[in-house]
Amino acid sequence: MTDWNAMGDAEFRKEAREFFETEYPENLRHLPHRPKFAEIEHWHRKLHAKGWVAPAWPAEYGGMGLNAAKLLIFYEEQQRWGVNRGRDMGVQMVGPLIIKFGTQAQKDYWLPRILSCEDIWCQGYSEPGAGSDLANLRTRAELDGDDFVINGQKIWTTMAHDATHIFMLVRTDSDAPKKQQGISFLLAPMDQPGVEVRTITTLSGETEFCEVFFDNARTPRENLVGELNKGWTMAKALLSFERIFIGAPNLAQNALGQLESFARGRGAFDDPAFRDRFAQAALDVEDHAALYARFADQLKRGETLGADVSMLKIWVTECFQRITELMIEAAGPDGGSIGPLQVGNVSVDVLASFYKARPTTIYGGSNEIQRNILSKAVLGLPG
Amino acid sequence: MLRESVRTLFDRAGGVGRSRKLRDSGGGWDGEMIRELAEAGVFGVAVPEENGGLGMGLAACGVIAEEVGRVLAPEPVVATVGLSLGLLRRLCPDHDMIGRLIGGDTVLATAWQERGPNGGPAEENCRYADGKLTGNKAWVVGAAEAQGFLVLAKGNTGPVLVMVEAGADGLSVEKLTQADGSTMGELSFAGTPAEEMAGGVAVPDALDEAVNDTAALAAAELVGLSERAFETALEYIKTREQFDKPIGSFQVIQHRAVDLHVTCEVAQAGVREALALMDSESDPKVRARLASRAKARAVTTAKKITRDAIQLHGAVGYTDEFDIGLYLNRALVLSAWLGDDAYHRRLWFDAREGEGAAQ
Repeated sequence: MTDWNAMGDAEFRKEAREFFETEYPENLRHLPHRPKFAEIEHWHRKLHAKGWVAPAWPAEYGGMGLNAAKLLIFYEEQQRWGVNRGRDMGVQMVGPLIIKFGTQAQKDYWLPRILSCEDIWCQGYSEPGAGSDLANLRTRAELDGDDFVINGQKIWTTMAHDATHIFMLVRTDSDAPKKQQGISFLLAPMDQPGVEVRTITTLSGETEFCEVFFDNARTPRENLVGELNKGWTMAKALLSFERIFIGAPNLAQNALGQLESFARGRGAFDDPAFRDRFAQAALDVEDHAALYARFADQLKRGETLGADVSMLKIWVTECFQRITELMIEAAGPDGGSIGPLQVGNVSVDVLASFYKARPTTIYGGSNEIQRNILSKAVLGLPG
Repeated sequence: MLRESVRTLFDRAGGVGRSRKLRDSGGGWDGEMIRELAEAGVFGVAVPEENGGLGMGLAACGVIAEEVGRVLAPEPVVATVGLSLGLLRRLCPDHDMIGRLIGGDTVLATAWQERGPNGGPAEENCRYADGKLTGNKAWVVGAAEAQGFLVLAKGNTGPVLVMVEAGADGLSVEKLTQADGSTMGELSFAGTPAEEMAGGVAVPDALDEAVNDTAALAAAELVGLSERAFETALEYIKTREQFDKPIGSFQVIQHRAVDLHVTCEVAQAGVREALALMDSESDPKVRARLASRAKARAVTTAKKITRDAIQLHGAVGYTDEFDIGLYLNRALVLSAWLGDDAYHRRLWFDAREGEGAAQ
């Protein structure tokens, strides 16, 4: 087994880059939508054969065992080449939780199935009344013999219509003194009569989000991960690395590259006012990358990131949106047209980029929630 | 180390309160502070060790400039390090004036601009021949207090850098008072005696580099200024009560405060990175682009933060009694000096296009 962490950063970057560039299918680069598993199954098999499905998992569970520095490089290279993350909810969310809090039996059973994508996972956190206020969730799970019986509704469940299993936060004690208490982390199969999935059509016409309804759905009691009523703390423990990842510069950098070639082809740079707006956006991206590097260096030194890392997400998502708005501006009368717009030998789907940028300020903790967190945890403001 | 010693020096002397006193007593700087800064090694940071300096780079100078910005110190640290010493160490590294500037024994103001579009270094007007200088210079920082001037002029065989003593024959200095109480000088020379320091094509090259360095250091000074202005506003909204609560408990205030904080952090990271990159880059065109990146970011940030900080203070922010207004006024001056954000974005874009075309 290769000890990737023993490798130099540059050498490891080269290894990852070469693998992605030679093995990743050209037609799947920078996919504007989330693929169903069938669409990327071929790529997943390659990753699985190389043992690269789970970069962050310890090697003993079939992961690459990368430390934070190498992990960052891995993701940077993945994003740089436009490699789709695939159906990675199992790898990113369930696996780490089972590794940290699961029983030996749970590890033995679930982890290999996550790596092979025999099970494909979706995340059941949000509910109609529990979005930003996630702890307000009401979907209940009650013990009935050897099973939990689940009733309630989840929403914004990404790709639930193409998942075999759901991991969810459920209320297991309605009388707990604080709403964060009384929440448990539960795994459940989707293929059963008590589970109904409806897709939600988004502004861009995609159907990657779903509603999931539970009407006396059942899951065996051994599918409880960790202690009963301790799910909230467990779920929060997972988020720290995600917060730098969600603030990475790549999405905005890629969009900026698209904007530049599109604007050049369209002659938008003849307009000094447009040049200035482009320069602002480009410098916003460059200086954000400098701040990102500061946090990445912290990780590389083995330090834990504080709540201040949220500022990366606020800045880069809003910047990403401005860039896609400039694409529409450069498109002129074509700014409302669906589908790729051809400029010379470049083809840019302006509206797809625009739509892709919109939810980034909503998901992963809306930018308003991030501002609340920074205001209290970093600036020490009262209330 | 450098940061701590400079910060301690300024704090002991009274921080921003000292700067207010100097402004109230008619502007200008404190000669004693110049000597103390010199003892701390501040002026010689970027001068090579063999010429009596510390041989450190622009990033180290930036650290000092940030501290200058935090307390609004009126001493011309950035102008001396970037322009006067920036020119002398490149053009005449063995001249004994370098040691005098490093030691704080004297301060020279650099006169390179002339009135014209964008304040460019036009050498057309200012002439040097037979040891005499004739013509005009504009926007000279520290002209009222400096013991002498370094002047860019046109000599008989090309561009020259000459030195003129303050109070020399035929020199008149018109003072333009700035928003922060400092002055800029409009100089005119009529057969003024001058000493030639350097000549030839090296002069405009050195000037370009020195101006780039200085713009980048002014950016660092603005970053320090912005940070302290934000901290001041943050302290204020934590203590000021209305409706029986600190106004910092209101979400609309909190979100504005967070936006200023994020803006400030991005500026600090971006400007520090630009300065570090300038240290490892030798191509003047690339260094110019980096300097413009830094100045554009710093000006945008300082404008935003000082103006919003006034708003967060409410009515008292509009009074001279509160320090926050001093930050706004200094930001106005530093933003206008050597080009504002719109100007530097233009330079940045053009430099980037130039690099693209060269590839």
